[in-house]
Amino acid sequence: MKDTPLEIGRAAPRFDAYAKLTGKEKYASDFYAPDMLWAGVKRAGVPHARIRWIKTDDAIRIPGVLSVLTSKDVRGTNRQGVVRKDQPVLADDKVRHCGDPLALVVAEDRETLAKALASISLDIEPLPGVFDPENAMAQGAPLVHEENPEGNLLLKGSLEAGMGEKGFEECDETVEALFRLPSQEHAYLETEAGWAIFKDDILEITASTQSPFRDRYEAAEAIGFDMHKVRIIAPYCGGAFGGKDGITVQSLLGLAALNNPGRPVKMWWAREESILASAKRHPARLYYKLGAKKDGIFHALSVRIYFDTGPYDNLGGAVTALGLEHSGGPYRIPNTSLKAWAVFTNNPIGGPFRGFGVPQVTAAMEQTVDMMAKSLGISPLDIRVKNALRRGDRNPAGTTLTGSTGIGECLRKISASRLWQESETWKKASPPFKKRGAGLASAMQGMGYGPLIPDTANAKIELTQEGLFRVFCGVVDMGQGNASTYLQIAGEILNQGLSGMELVLPDTARTLPSGSSSASRTTFTYGNALITASKTMKKRLLERASDLLMAKGPEEMTLVPGRVRHIPSGKEMPLSALAGILSDAERTSVARYRTPSAKDSPTRDPNLSLHGIPHIVFSYAAHAAFVEVDTLTGLTEVKGFLAVTDCGRVLNPQIFEQQIQGGIAQGLGYALCEELKTDRGVIRTPDLGTYIIPTSIDLPDMESAAVELHEEMGPFGLKGAGEIAMNGPFAAVANAIADACGIRIFEGPMTPERVLGALEKKPSCQEEG
Amino acid sequence: MRRVFLANNTNELWDMLRQYPEAAIYAGGTDLLVRMRKGICDPSALICLERMDCLKGVREEGDQIFIGACTSHTALLADPIVQRSFPVLAAAISRLGSPHIRNMGTIGGNIVTASPAGDTLPPLYILGAAVEIMSMDKTRRLSLADFIRGPGHTDLKPGEILAGVWIKKDQPYNIFSLEKVGQRKALAISIASLAALLRVSGEGIIEEARLAWGSVGPTVTVSKEAESFLAGKRPEPGALGEAARIAMDAVSPIDDVRASKSYRRLVSGNLVLRLGASVDGNSPQPAWLPPAD
Ligand SMILES: Cc1cc2nc3c(=O)[nH]c(=O)nc-3n(C[C@H](O)[C@H](O)[C@H](O)COP(=O)(O)OP(=O)(O)OC[C@H]3O[C@@H](n4cnc5c(N)ncnc54)[C@H](O)[C@@H]3O)c2cc1C
Repeated sequence: MKDTPLEIGRAAPRFDAYAKLTGKEKYASDFYAPDMLWAGVKRAGVPHARIRWIKTDDAIRIPGVLSVLTSKDVRGTNRQGVVRKDQPVLADDKVRHCGDPLALVVAEDRETLAKALASISLDIEPLPGVFDPENAMAQGAPLVHEENPEGNLLLKGSLEAGMGEKGFEECDETVEALFRLPSQEHAYLETEAGWAIFKDDILEITASTQSPFRDRYEAAEAIGFDMHKVRIIAPYCGGAFGGKDGITVQSLLGLAALNNPGRPVKMWWAREESILASAKRHPARLYYKLGAKKDGIFHALSVRIYFDTGPYDNLGGAVTALGLEHSGGPYRIPNTSLKAWAVFTNNPIGGPFRGFGVPQVTAAMEQTVDMMAKSLGISPLDIRVKNALRRGDRNPAGTTLTGSTGIGECLRKISASRLWQESETWKKASPPFKKRGAGLASAMQGMGYGPLIPDTANAKIELTQEGLFRVFCGVVDMGQGNASTYLQIAGEILNQGLSGMELVLPDTARTLPSGSSSASRTTFTYGNALITASKTMKKRLLERASDLLMAKGPEEMTLVPGRVRHIPSGKEMPLSALAGILSDAERTSVARYRTPSAKDSPTRDPNLSLHGIPHIVFSYAAHAAFVEVDTLTGLTEVKGFLAVTDCGRVLNPQIFEQQIQGGIAQGLGYALCEELKTDRGVIRTPDLGTYIIPTSIDLPDMESAAVELHEEMGPFGLKGAGEIAMNGPFAAVANAIADACGIRIFEGPMTPERVLGALEKKPSCQEEG
Repeated sequence: MRRVFLANNTNELWDMLRQYPEAAIYAGGTDLLVRMRKGICDPSALICLERMDCLKGVREEGDQIFIGACTSHTALLADPIVQRSFPVLAAAISRLGSPHIRNMGTIGGNIVTASPAGDTLPPLYILGAAVEIMSMDKTRRLSLADFIRGPGHTDLKPGEILAGVWIKKDQPYNIFSLEKVGQRKALAISIASLAALLRVSGEGIIEEARLAWGSVGPTVTVSKEAESFLAGKRPEPGALGEAARIAMDAVSPIDDVRASKSYRRLVSGNLVLRLGASVDGNSPQPAWLPPAD
């Protein structure tokens, strides 16, 4: 079984499953050593304040406390961030949200650490805060970053196509709405964790991270240490979803280790600390206006989006830009005026989260589409099919679609499905006090970093002396299974089974820079690089073996598991023997791949291009939700869910299915129960007992199908599948609730309380069909 | 370092309690340990009842059933007497926590925690349960309603433990209903719940009704008024609607992070409307009732 050559397209259990299930796989949080120290952080607890004094003398006197550090001990820039470096490692002048770190303590054990943290007192002067993104832009609003020339504005973007707003003059029908979407917590199983050691002049940091190579230079610069002496090791993450795309524990661990040379230091955030300090999905306010002709053809769209990015950039500008670019959905709309603002507030930090701004805009756009369908009396399916983008069209952001564009096929597959066909009958059979409805949503997700930031991966593969192929994976597997897929890709090309392969997980000292595990780019970009590296390796091995076996040429040779064979004679040579003959240089092969960028320039704003607009490769999906609403409690139960995805060729159906189901689950949580509640910047849902994620029995059976269009640029025809499934569920459920009871909940999540409130305001619901 | 003692029998327990009067006792720890982690309490020592077999199990004594305080929820769900005689209690327990919480948590812990949201309390109220309290030198019995004094407060005195619960075996009801409204289907603290027992005649007339609401007042809410209103009526929308209005006046809910006062009030009434469906045999039991594992 383990010797069967890996093949593209074959469903196979993931390579990491056994080690993870048996607990053999070590995550960053699993590290322990006898001489290990614990590091922890004192956090602000208030949303906005000036720091006068941090009193640490009591803490340092506690036996077992090794260091108590504040911003004064940070020798570097003390600023972290990817685009804008504005987030301190340890807050210096100001507190900008409740989770800001003020002091770092290193102690012999956790009890001492807790005692020391509790003994630190803060002398801080509270400042008036801003907690609403629209108010934050008003004249005279308190400033989160006084030095920012644009006040509380992080990024403003606008895209205009055709006649823009003027397009509405030619429309027969217009619908408008305001949608409010909540902040969503990543809630990964493994909270932020890692350990570091400073030894032999090397600072080694092992962290649960999505971006080891970027972390390396970001942390080095922030704490003032030579980047070339920093090594970052990135084991599998126990979940990340974007929340570990950037610095969490890395700089703090670096500081702690530099101050305690020779001893390993561990940091592992408690769940409450993780919720307090980590970045979340941006809460958003979205004003939508859609215009169409009588026949349902979309003609104009105007959108204003406000993303609350909290106090720091944390890729919030890039998230906002991606939201802006996707705000019109996968439709042909000739006249668009799309605007978005990312605004600083003293709320928790907004940051990357699966979908990266697209779940918010899809929730709004797809509901607006249904509202249009309803006012024109066209079915929600027909209106989507009519307007669905095709290859060669310009999308609402103005980009020409040169790649595979399968949204039409996705919708047609929904309409042909058994679930959809039987939904009318199913709806009519609803039990007493229940209303049933079906709802649709279309979605798209751009792949990669966009035009300016090089979206590059460097793959490396080695034939070891033992005759195994070792794949050096430079991009993190945060649980999505990409590392498994890399073995599959190399195995397919080199005709090897799992037993003939080895994997090296990201490590800045061993693997090559390949960007972050994010943006639906991970397998696309690294996979393309690995194909080239593997093919080069194969060619070289066949050539060298053909010479050694005195064959006519490499065309007579083939690779079989563990060996190379001369086909005409049947003579074989073990790969280990071949490896023994080759030089070190011959045994390795490296290749680089950079994703091409779109040739359109829908914006002249260089800042928008820097933040990623436009993209060129898009995945698509159509989702259908089947819900039952309880008219006595307002509870919405999702009874069935169907997702049809166009993410190109599916390399491993099992891993694909896992991504789709996981995305739907997270999307349904977003739609129905997940809401990070705050009151003037203070989190009211500080733990997983109050922040409600769905359990397995809250989720329906999910059906998933793929429209396997071949994407020319993708490795073996693939496009990204990691994010797309997150985008549809919100609107599909909202539209199903509207179908069931004729109400629309404009504020998410659609909790029983909000649904019942809307039902109460609509007394006719009890009688209506 | 905090000391943890495991008592194997009552003699050991009384000894430990005499030596460490400040110790907190616990059974499954699913309430106590959570409170300790949150820093709400910080007992100097712990005494665990988990190994006290005399406090576990369900047994018949005359016309009464005794449920030992340290019986886990999982054991109760699997118990034939509970299944047969008190399905309303079993239904409530099946919605309590999740399989792992039910494996550890006990009925005694749920009662002594005396949370307004304690899921076993509404059914125990309408079943007319009494608690048995034990100390070194005496045993006393009082009704559950008298035992529970308020949120987190019981009549338990220092040196006393809860030995178990007494419930009359033959209950004069032929219909039960249990509905819990939470933020999700498992691991959810109740926002509002209604436990109901009805005796409905062959002609479809409610002869007697017992109703108790959870999570909508400082302790379990009962309404004699709603119960007597329903007696003699058919479980039809008109009568149920009126009982619902009475219920909405009877409850005294609060706002918290889970739900607003007004939602809780409205749902307390609405749940009454569904009683008609239980009488019709349209079980109000959600299809996702977890299997008794
Ligand atoms: C994740 C989670 C989910 C939960 N979900 C629910 C839910 O859905 N519904 C619900 O009602 N509860 C829920 N709970 C609370 C808890 O599980 C139950 O209340 C459980 O029944 C408590 O039992 P225990 O034995 O674990 O209590 P313990 O924690 O052992 O004890 C609780 C309290 O009772 C006292 N005590 C325990 N036994 C005795 C005794 N024999 N005599 C005197 N005092 C005693 C202890 O001193 C302590 O003060 C949940 C808890 C968790 C952690």
